[in-house]
Amino acid sequence: MSGARLDRMIWLALPAVAYLAVVYALPLLWLLGRSVTGPDGFTIAQFTAFFADPFSWRVMGNTLRIAFWVTLLSLVIGYPVAIAMARARGLMQVMLLVAMILPLSIGVVVKAFAWQIVLRRDGVISQGLVAIGIWAEPQRLLFTEAGLIVGATNVFLPFMILPIYSVVKLIDPRLTEAGATLGASPFYRFRKILLPLALPGIVSGSAFVFSMAVSMFVIPSLLIGDRFQTLATLTGRSYLLMRNEALGSTTAVILLVIAVSIVVLSTWLSKRVGRSL
Amino acid sequence: MADITKQGFDRRRLLIGTGATGLSLIAMPSILRAQTRELVIGGAASHKPWVETHVAPMFEKKYNARITFEGTRSLVNLEKMQKNKDKPYLSVVQMDDPVMILAVREGLLEPITAAKCPNVAKLKPGTMHMDGMWANYLQPWQGIAYNTNVLKEPPASWADAFDPKFKGRIIGKPMAEAYKDIDAAFAKLKTLKANLLTAYSQMPQAFSLLEQGEAHMIVGALSSFGMQRRLDGAPINMTAPKEGIFPVPSGIALVKGSPNIDLAYAYVNELLGAEVQARIAPPTFALPTNVDVPVPPGMPTNATVHPIDWAFVAENRNSWVQRWDREMAI
Repeated sequence: MSGARLDRMIWLALPAVAYLAVVYALPLLWLLGRSVTGPDGFTIAQFTAFFADPFSWRVMGNTLRIAFWVTLLSLVIGYPVAIAMARARGLMQVMLLVAMILPLSIGVVVKAFAWQIVLRRDGVISQGLVAIGIWAEPQRLLFTEAGLIVGATNVFLPFMILPIYSVVKLIDPRLTEAGATLGASPFYRFRKILLPLALPGIVSGSAFVFSMAVSMFVIPSLLIGDRFQTLATLTGRSYLLMRNEALGSTTAVILLVIAVSIVVLSTWLSKRVGRSL
Repeated sequence: MADITKQGFDRRRLLIGTGATGLSLIAMPSILRAQTRELVIGGAASHKPWVETHVAPMFEKKYNARITFEGTRSLVNLEKMQKNKDKPYLSVVQMDDPVMILAVREGLLEPITAAKCPNVAKLKPGTMHMDGMWANYLQPWQGIAYNTNVLKEPPASWADAFDPKFKGRIIGKPMAEAYKDIDAAFAKLKTLKANLLTAYSQMPQAFSLLEQGEAHMIVGALSSFGMQRRLDGAPINMTAPKEGIFPVPSGIALVKGSPNIDLAYAYVNELLGAEVQARIAPPTFALPTNVDVPVPPGMPTNATVHPIDWAFVAENRNSWVQRWDREMAI
C-alpha cells in the first residue's frame, strides 16, 4: 500500500476521532482543568491535600487491592476456559462461546442483584461451603471484600477469556505435541511453550480486567456498599452527594492516571514479550 | 332574490354579521385563555400519580384552571428555576427541604403568607420554614422497618438496633438522633458497627435484603416505601419507636415572579388545607401537617415527630459524610 493511499485511508477514522473529541477529550480536559483550579487560579493544592490525608491512601489501597484480586481470579479461572475454547471443535466450541458471550447481554445491575442472592448467609456459596465442611456455620459474603471480588470477577471474566482465546487459537497444537515426543512433561510444555505463546493474550486480558475493576462503580455500590470506598465510588460520592467538584475531579484524575499507566505498561509488556518470542 | 332581501339578508346585515363573527373568532382565544389558565408545577416524579388523581381534578374544576405537573428530581426543578429566573414558567415547586434552602439562598422563592394562604394558620408547629419560604404539606416519616418472619414483636426503641443479637443484621441510614451533638452521635454510631450490614442509599436494595431475611431491621426506613411493600404482601412492617420519628423532606413553595400568582397561592393553600391532605395522606402513607386532618389508619398516632433543622444539616452534611467514610468504614 502506498504512502499517499494510506494517508487518504486515515480520513476514515475522522468520524470516530470527531466523536471522541467532543464526548471524551473535551470533558476530560475540563476535568483535568478543574482538578488544578482553585479560587485563585492554578493550584495543585487539591492533590497535595488528597495525598496528605491517610484516608486517601486507604481508598487507593482498597481500589488497587480489589482490582488486583479480581484480575488474578479472572486469570486463574479464565485461562483454562480460553484453552478449552480454543481446542474445542464444532458444536462444543459454539456452545462455550455462547455461554461466555450471552451473560454480557445482561446488565451489571441485574448481575449484582443476582449475586446479592448468591452471597447471602443462606445463599448457594455459604450453604455449599457448609455442606462440604469448610465452614462450620453459614457466613455472609455480601458486603465483604471477598464477596465483591467474587461478584466482580463474574462480571469481568469474559474480558479475560476473549483476548487469551484469540491468541491461543492461533498457537499450532502440534508445537506441544512435538514437545511431548521430545520427552517434555505436561508442566514443562505448559511453562515453556503454551504460557509464553499465550502471554500477549494474558497481558491484554489482564489490562482489560484491571482497568475495568479499578474504575468500577455500580458493582461495589451494590455488593459492598458505601462503607468501603474506592477511587471510583469516592469520585461519584464527591460529585453526587457532597457536591465537591474539586475533590471529585482530583480523584477522577488519579484514577485516570492509574488506568492510563496500566494500558501503557501492558502495551510495552506485550511488545517486549512479542520481541522475545 | 327579492324574497331573500325581504327576510333580512341584505348587504348591510350581511356585512354586520360577518364582522361580528370575525370579531368573535379573533376574541375567542383570549376568552379561552381567560377561562382555563395554566398552572405549571414542578415536583418529584413520584408525586405525579397522587397529584393527577387526588389534586388536579378538584383544583381544575374549582378554579377553572389547568394543571401541568412536571415530575422530575428536586435538583432539576432548582435548575429550571435558576435558568428561567428572569421569566419563570413554574408557579409552584414541590421539592425536598434541603433543595429549598438552596432556592431560598438564590432568591428564587416567594414567601407563603397567611394573608394569601389562610390554611397556613392550620399547620402543625415546625412545618413552616425560613420565615415562610416553604411549608411541609405532608410528613412522610422515618421509623424502623422490620422483618415480621424474624421479629414477632415490633422493636420498641431505636436502641434495639444496638442489641448484639442483631450482629450483621441491621441496615442503617446515615442519620443520628442527637445530630447537633455530632461527637456523641458518632461515638454512639460506632457501637453499631458490628450490627451494621450496610448503610443504604438505594431503598429497593435495602428492602429486598429485609424481605429476604438477610437483614432484620432497617433503622431509618421511609414510611411511603415500607408501608407500600407491606400492602404488596412483603413480610415486613413499620413501627414508630417510643423516642419518636423523623419527618422526611416534603416541601411546597411559590416561585418568585411566577405566572398566575393568584392561582399559585390557591394551589399552595389547597395542599395545606384539610380536604386535600385528607385525600393524599393515606395513599402516600404520610402524616398530615394540617391539624384538622386525622392521622390515617395504620399510621402512628401519638408519635413525637422530631423536626429537622435542614439549614444546619445542609451546612454540616459534607463534614458528616467525610467523617462517616472514615469512622464507619468496614
